[in-house]
Amino acid sequence: MLYDLNVPWSPSTTDSQLLQTLTLSASLGYGAVALNTTLTQAPSGQQGVPFPKLSPDSSTKLPRILHRATLVLDDPAASNFSLPALVRMYDILAVRPLSDKAFQNACLTFDTPIISMDLTQNLGFYFRPKPCMAAVSRGVRFEICYSQALAADARGRAQFIANATGLIRATRGRGIMVSSEARNALSLRAPADVVNLLDVWGLGREKGMEGLGSVPRSVVVNEGVKRTGFRGVVDVVQALDAPFTKEKQDGQPGQGANKKDKKQKRKNGEETQKGDKHQSKKMKLVSRDADTAKK
Amino acid sequence: MVRVKERYLLVNIIYPPADGSRVGNSTTPNLVVQHQPTTENLTPGILVRALKSQVASLFGDYGAGCLESDLSVKYLSLATSTVIIRCSRDHYQMLWSALTFMDRVPTKDGSGRPCIFRVVRVSGTIRKAEEEAIRQAKQRLNEAKEATSQIPSSLEPKESSRPEAVLDVMRDSDDESMHDVDD
Repeated sequence: MLYDLNVPWSPSTTDSQLLQTLTLSASLGYGAVALNTTLTQAPSGQQGVPFPKLSPDSSTKLPRILHRATLVLDDPAASNFSLPALVRMYDILAVRPLSDKAFQNACLTFDTPIISMDLTQNLGFYFRPKPCMAAVSRGVRFEICYSQALAADARGRAQFIANATGLIRATRGRGIMVSSEARNALSLRAPADVVNLLDVWGLGREKGMEGLGSVPRSVVVNEGVKRTGFRGVVDVVQALDAPFTKEKQDGQPGQGANKKDKKQKRKNGEETQKGDKHQSKKMKLVSRDADTAKK
Repeated sequence: MVRVKERYLLVNIIYPPADGSRVGNSTTPNLVVQHQPTTENLTPGILVRALKSQVASLFGDYGAGCLESDLSVKYLSLATSTVIIRCSRDHYQMLWSALTFMDRVPTKDGSGRPCIFRVVRVSGTIRKAEEEAIRQAKQRLNEAKEATSQIPSSLEPKESSRPEAVLDVMRDSDDESMHDVDD
């Protein structure tokens, strides 16, 4: 499945525009789309997600819809977002650092999985490999939004390419996520076209495909586990029916057993096998002893 | 004798789905709206010129020079909004990204409707590109029939059930001439 984790939404976006974008996105082959709202300051009071509830007729196919918020970070010292409250409201959080300091902070300490930037602007700083690689190994992903380049003028395009190649160089193409940030339906592009575009800009074909598929998927799944699972590590996938569990209480894992369980099980199995071997050997010895005693 | 290596890009012109206000009650399925015929006066010559100027604006004189001689439109069907473009193998990515950057139908007076140029197949021979065009047209026809009648047509083999490989534009398994390095 292909992901497009940035379809911007603002209060001025009409439902029909949004629906148009989402329909085209589905028909171009994207399976999941995140609606994105940009927050410059912490939302006041307890309110729900601002996105509208879309109710298309049955014939229009829509992708799976996620909710995302992008926090604009200017000065790291004055960051007044309360993350836990936002985490409860949105499926995915991202940051948009505006200064070098904020970028460093986002790379090294801030607890959001996506760093997104307006690459058509002169950022005023370079992407250095050290913080970028640290971010990638922490599990933070960098987002390249291709429609920024499509909408920009010649100067903005040049700046975008400079920034994108700088980012690709600094991360060596690892941990790069591709999304659209399409403000209308027409700035969406088909996945293959996007991959080719990034190939021209220096991100290899394989890496580009990952940037549309497995990288955003890992972000979505990780964030999901963080919200629903126990301490962000263990997730309940499926609970078995009560009578069934009573019958098979001897540690039958559920259908959605994770890898760890499987490993554990295999280990257990090996041990029991080993134990069996030992036991049979012992039995053999005992019987042999008995035989010799008989003689 | 060394052959000149080429690439054929099969391109669909896609129009945005109907505005949301009409999505609810229009009878035309979105699939048909997106693949509607191109009504502009688009000729191969105009398209080639537009592509060249787009390549020049993206890649400068170098790009324009690379695609100067070998770029040609092999097939242009306005009714199905399908185009096959030929260019040299070494430079097809430049042409492709120029197509990605085009956002309206090129016409003489610049009054074309906004659209997306979507490359659906990159092929080494024109035969494969043609076959793919026919296959996709058939599939689209079936899907459109289903969408209008809401009754799955059981007569045709249901090709739409095949998971469409959206990323796999360069399927080379069934294309013998994609990888023949200079023989």
